[in-house]
Amino acid sequence: MVDPANTALGKMLTEEITPVVMVLRTSLVEETCQKNGLSFIKMLTPFSVFDNIDVPVRTASDQPYRLQKFKLRFFYASDIQKPNLQAAKERLEKVITEAGEKDTSDYCSELANVEKGLTISESELSPSWFQVFNKELAFTSSFSDHEAFDHPVACLLVVSSKDEEPVNKFVDLFNTNQLPSILSDGVMDPKVLKQYLLLHDNQDEMPDKASKILSEMKSTFGSSDCRLLCINSLQDGLLENENNPWSSYNLDASLAQHLGCFLSVDDIDEIKLLIQDLSAKHIIPHMEQKIRILNQQVSSTRKGFRNQIKNLWWRKGKEDAPDTPNGPVYTYNSIESQIRVLGDYAFMLRDYELALSNYRLISMDYKLDKAWKRYAGVQEMMGLTYFMLDHSRKEAEYCMENAFSTYLKVGAHGQQNSIRCGLWWAELLKARDQYKEAAIVYFRISSEDPLQSAVMLEQASYCYLLMEPPMFRKYGFHRVLSGDSYEKCDQVKHAIRTYRSALSVFKGSSWSLIRDHTHFQLGKWFASLGMFDAAIKHMLEILACEHQSKAVQELFLQDFILLVQKTGKTLEVWGLQLPIIKLSLLRVIFEDHRTYASPAAVGIRESLWRSLEEDMIPLLSTAKSNWLELQTKLVSKKHKESNICVAGEAIKVDIGFKNPLQIPISISNVSLICKHSASSDSTEVDELNSAANELSSVADGQIDEDLTKLISRDEGNAENYSFTLSEAEFSLSGGETLVVQLTVTPRVEGILNIVGVKWKLSGCVVGFQSFKIDHTKNTAAKGRIKHKLSPSDEMRFLVVKSLPRLEGFIHHFPTKSYHGELHRLVLELKNQSNFPVKNMKMKISHPRFLLVGDREVKNSESAACLIRGKSERSGVSVSSEEAASLFNFPEDSVIHGEEPLLWSLWLRAAVLGSISLCMTIYYELEDISTIMRYRILRMCYNLEVLPSIVVSFKISHCPLRLQEVLVCMNVVNKTSSESFQIHQLSAVGNQWELTMLQSMDIPLHSVTPGQSLSCFFKLENVRERLTSEDKVVLDGIRRSHVRLGTQGGKQELFDTISSLVADFHHQERFHQGMSDQGHPDAVDFVLIFQPHNKSQDQHLLEYSRLFTHHVCHCSVVSRSPIDWVMDGPQIIHHDFTMSFCKINLRMTIHNSLDAALSVHINTYDKTASSITSQSSDSTGITSENKTGWHDLSLANDVKQSSDILGSQFAKQVSPESVSPFIWSGSSSTSVDLGPLSTAEVPLQICMFAPGVYDISSYQLNWNLHVSNNQSPGTLSEQSLGTCAGSPFYLTVLQST
Amino acid sequence: MIVCVAVVGQQNNPLYIQSFTEADDALKLHHIVHCSLDVVDERVNNPKKSGPMLNETFLGLLYPTENYKVYGFLTNTKVKFILVTTDLDVRDADVRNFFRKFHAAYVDAVSNPFHVPGKKITSKTFAERVSNIVKSFGMGSTG
Repeated sequence: MVDPANTALGKMLTEEITPVVMVLRTSLVEETCQKNGLSFIKMLTPFSVFDNIDVPVRTASDQPYRLQKFKLRFFYASDIQKPNLQAAKERLEKVITEAGEKDTSDYCSELANVEKGLTISESELSPSWFQVFNKELAFTSSFSDHEAFDHPVACLLVVSSKDEEPVNKFVDLFNTNQLPSILSDGVMDPKVLKQYLLLHDNQDEMPDKASKILSEMKSTFGSSDCRLLCINSLQDGLLENENNPWSSYNLDASLAQHLGCFLSVDDIDEIKLLIQDLSAKHIIPHMEQKIRILNQQVSSTRKGFRNQIKNLWWRKGKEDAPDTPNGPVYTYNSIESQIRVLGDYAFMLRDYELALSNYRLISMDYKLDKAWKRYAGVQEMMGLTYFMLDHSRKEAEYCMENAFSTYLKVGAHGQQNSIRCGLWWAELLKARDQYKEAAIVYFRISSEDPLQSAVMLEQASYCYLLMEPPMFRKYGFHRVLSGDSYEKCDQVKHAIRTYRSALSVFKGSSWSLIRDHTHFQLGKWFASLGMFDAAIKHMLEILACEHQSKAVQELFLQDFILLVQKTGKTLEVWGLQLPIIKLSLLRVIFEDHRTYASPAAVGIRESLWRSLEEDMIPLLSTAKSNWLELQTKLVSKKHKESNICVAGEAIKVDIGFKNPLQIPISISNVSLICKHSASSDSTEVDELNSAANELSSVADGQIDEDLTKLISRDEGNAENYSFTLSEAEFSLSGGETLVVQLTVTPRVEGILNIVGVKWKLSGCVVGFQSFKIDHTKNTAAKGRIKHKLSPSDEMRFLVVKSLPRLEGFIHHFPTKSYHGELHRLVLELKNQSNFPVKNMKMKISHPRFLLVGDREVKNSESAACLIRGKSERSGVSVSSEEAASLFNFPEDSVIHGEEPLLWSLWLRAAVLGSISLCMTIYYELEDISTIMRYRILRMCYNLEVLPSIVVSFKISHCPLRLQEVLVCMNVVNKTSSESFQIHQLSAVGNQWELTMLQSMDIPLHSVTPGQSLSCFFKLENVRERLTSEDKVVLDGIRRSHVRLGTQGGKQELFDTISSLVADFHHQERFHQGMSDQGHPDAVDFVLIFQPHNKSQDQHLLEYSRLFTHHVCHCSVVSRSPIDWVMDGPQIIHHDFTMSFCKINLRMTIHNSLDAALSVHINTYDKTASSITSQSSDSTGITSENKTGWHDLSLANDVKQSSDILGSQFAKQVSPESVSPFIWSGSSSTSVDLGPLSTAEVPLQICMFAPGVYDISSYQLNWNLHVSNNQSPGTLSEQSLGTCAGSPFYLTVLQST
Repeated sequence: MIVCVAVVGQQNNPLYIQSFTEADDALKLHHIVHCSLDVVDERVNNPKKSGPMLNETFLGLLYPTENYKVYGFLTNTKVKFILVTTDLDVRDADVRNFFRKFHAAYVDAVSNPFHVPGKKITSKTFAERVSNIVKSFGMGSTG
């Protein structure tokens, strides 16, 4: 444990609680002293402190001890009164303000980390002016009548030798009613120790007069009490005292030099001697004596059992006394006052035991008397005495707390005392390392007065920091509180200081609300002090505060903008967080040999393009000989890795800007920061690399000199000829993320580095962001970079000289189209440069959608050329499936200059849904001296295909004739608003003849939305019937088309064989079927329809819109190689009473195979069980043939009735086990059929009863003759099979 | 009346902080909650002071400020719950009960597979549930 006297509190007490000497002087005394710039008291002060006075003291006990440290406090009589609170306040304010001025210097220094500063002791940590402030604060409660240590112990009367009648003056001085109230109103004994001092000014040169007066004094007041002090021995007043004793007592350094300028060393020694003499020979002995006298008195009246009883009894009687706040009035000769004086004198003379015993004695009395203020004062002193004795800690604390709360209880009178008491209490706790408790005490002292509470809170904050372990958060909180209090009393500098240190706690924590507030306040305060740089620094921290409310964000931004505007210049900030640059959205689009016609084309994956261009671009092996050679010649190895771009062509950079705030912000002057170096030497590259490295370090927040140079160069040469930059301007609403495309266009060859982006926020803050931060992310986003390039390479471009570049555009490309619609489009290719390009090729990703037409000459109607007979196909023919999508432009089509090349394209919306149609155009450059010999233009268009009409076909055999097929066309309009008019249905190929089954009684074949329509057709294969001559004839007739629409009967039919439709049909066949050579009997249908419009005016316009639907590979025949038709009568009238009925039937069998067959017809008599089994078998085999055909209206009715009848019949019959009919003749007939031949087989059946019969109880077994010269390998199909009989209904009626 | 509740993560980062006053004193309450973490740390680091119960999650009254009382609760995963109330005499049982419910709500909220551990709790359900718990606080003692 440290000696209590050496602690901060101990030192403070030995300085504060010391004997007071009242000084009475004449005005001439003061005049003399003022020559030195000092008042009389000030002149004495430096010498009133003794560190080693070494005076023997004997108080109450007989054991003397030696007093080492001693101090006297001098006060003018006029000052010995309760200090004026207002004046005290002003003094305190002055202390704070002066301290604040001093501290300004270290504002700009870096924030010291609190956690690092832990090792510093308290004295270093907390500002020194705390001591001064605390002293001043404690002083406000001095000279209270309830405490005796502020009462003057002695009185020093000073008269100048110049005064007239000095001896009388002495008398006058003490007798005037200028004496302090304490002496006059009986609070203290007016008979104080008097000392007389004659002050002589040596400049007056009258030493004789002085000594004469002294002797006169001595005779009047007694020789020991009179002294002479001669000062101002120096005449010139130029003494430069090395260690001026007064300098430390005066705050103003400039004046300090002149202090005591007339005092020689002898003068100073004389003053020293005077005070030492005064203390040792007069004051201390006087106090000793008084202690002894008082002690004796106290012992006689209060000590001992009898006195205590008496005292208690006497006190009891006073209980009725009114409870005034000050308690009863005690005069100096009351025993209570005497005890208090005794205690205080003992305390001042360091006899703490004696002091404590007296304090304890009196404390009880005051409590009983309800003299609360006095009680508190005694408790306070007890606490301090305990501390100085280092006795019971608890007692000390208890006493202090008791005193503190009692002072508070007293009210306004005790206010100042409570503060002083609190300060001592806190010091007491601090001395014992109880910092937490001390902090709480400081917190309790902080009163309404903001200034005082600010300082107290700040002291409390230091306590938290000094704790073990330190409480940083409380430290921060208290500093913030204190800062707020400082702000209230306009001590902005102090507020900044406290907030700054608090910030070190909040920095980096996620308590954003607190942190933002701290930064904001600091920013505001710095701004109010005119320190804009610091203010901006803090404001920047809070700009991107997503979590704050909208109003707060607005406030922050507004204040920030205002602040920047106040500085009067545009602020440049690295890594400005408003808006946030989304580096993950960063995309660089550049064109080397690959060029893009539209942004949509850029979005397509590189792999897709590559697969498209695979067979277009020259093979590597052929190109190697000259291409690589050229490259090695022109490009150093290092550059091979960097991207290539062409001078004059823009490099586009997509940058995502995100507004983190809820309020809109406006961004302007957005442009890229680029660096261009003309030469391509490798040394230059290295330099560039190092520059890039520097940049990345810049991104960390330090503004590099080089970079600022770079930026300033950017700004300086706006028309920098090596590259041009685009500028963008936009505003972001709250939370919005916007991707902005910025471009840089290099003008000359060399190396271009894209370094970063800059923008201007609200027109006054320029933000920069380097791209060098997060490269792992954007490599993923940039699919087009093949190798993993180092970050600096990615943004580095080798600029090659300007090359021709084709621009492609398709006019009027629809974004939406109905399924099946045909569009005519025009492709326009332009070459702006003067160099021609050649060897153009084009490839289309979806040839099903797009067909290349011919060279466009003039506008013509879209559908017009489709009309039969008008179409003239260009020479370009589709040679094979693989090459279908590759189109070679004619050799002579060379584009250059102003003249664009127009080429027509046909678009057909073939498949539902969204689709991206990609086209790539390859072209070679005439000028082969460059790195690139060819370039590729990539075009991409997006098309959304909406459903229009859904058409389906059902084909079935005509049960009556073998050569005919019935076709049911179902059409459903799937659109929501469009109605269509069906124009024609064509069967593709010459061998088909299509006719309508029903006569056209529907006047207009228009299909309204949602409507469905069925049409029936008869399809006849005429191939076999025709000879070659006939074919030619039929070709002209074109019986394969059926016109369905009746509107404008003059309309011509569209040609589906030789027109463009055929090309699309070709594609459709390819996509719909597995192979082009399908079944020879498969039929393809083309349905052509138009939007329906009733108004005739728009006839032409509507005519130009045309839709086609292609349904391919509709199989006409079953998988079975044989077809047969049962022929016979339908209704027979027979008289069963006569005999059973014999019916002759005829079966016609057709072999559709190219091979000979043998067919067995097996008949069997129907039984109940066999019906079911056979029927299930038959469906299994012939399902394909019969699907969906049964709903033919006529057949349907018959079948239903027959079913009912049949089942009834079967029920009737089955119990009898008699079959309804039997086959007559042999049960098996065999027929041989040649390839594609027909045979007729006669059959007979016998009936026994009238009814409706289903004659299907037979099977056809066919067998392939393999014996022919055909090799078995070619016959992939099965060589034998079974077909169940098809239903044939026969009605037999009883004839009457 | 409860004026503020907070969930503070392992790194003393705020996960959820909600005040229930009309006045604009969010900053103040943030400060109070932030400060109380010091006391939580102190209690955790000096277990002998925190009482005989070794596995006690309820930390009790953390510190009384001028107008508020701050209670704390520490889960096994070192997540802290802080309660700031203006009631001057609060029964410990009530506070314990409150923290138990609050803890349950928190556990449910962080069990959400879409919740990122260590990030702020943004669940509306959680907020609603907490406000219900807050509303019902002290009802048990009166009724």
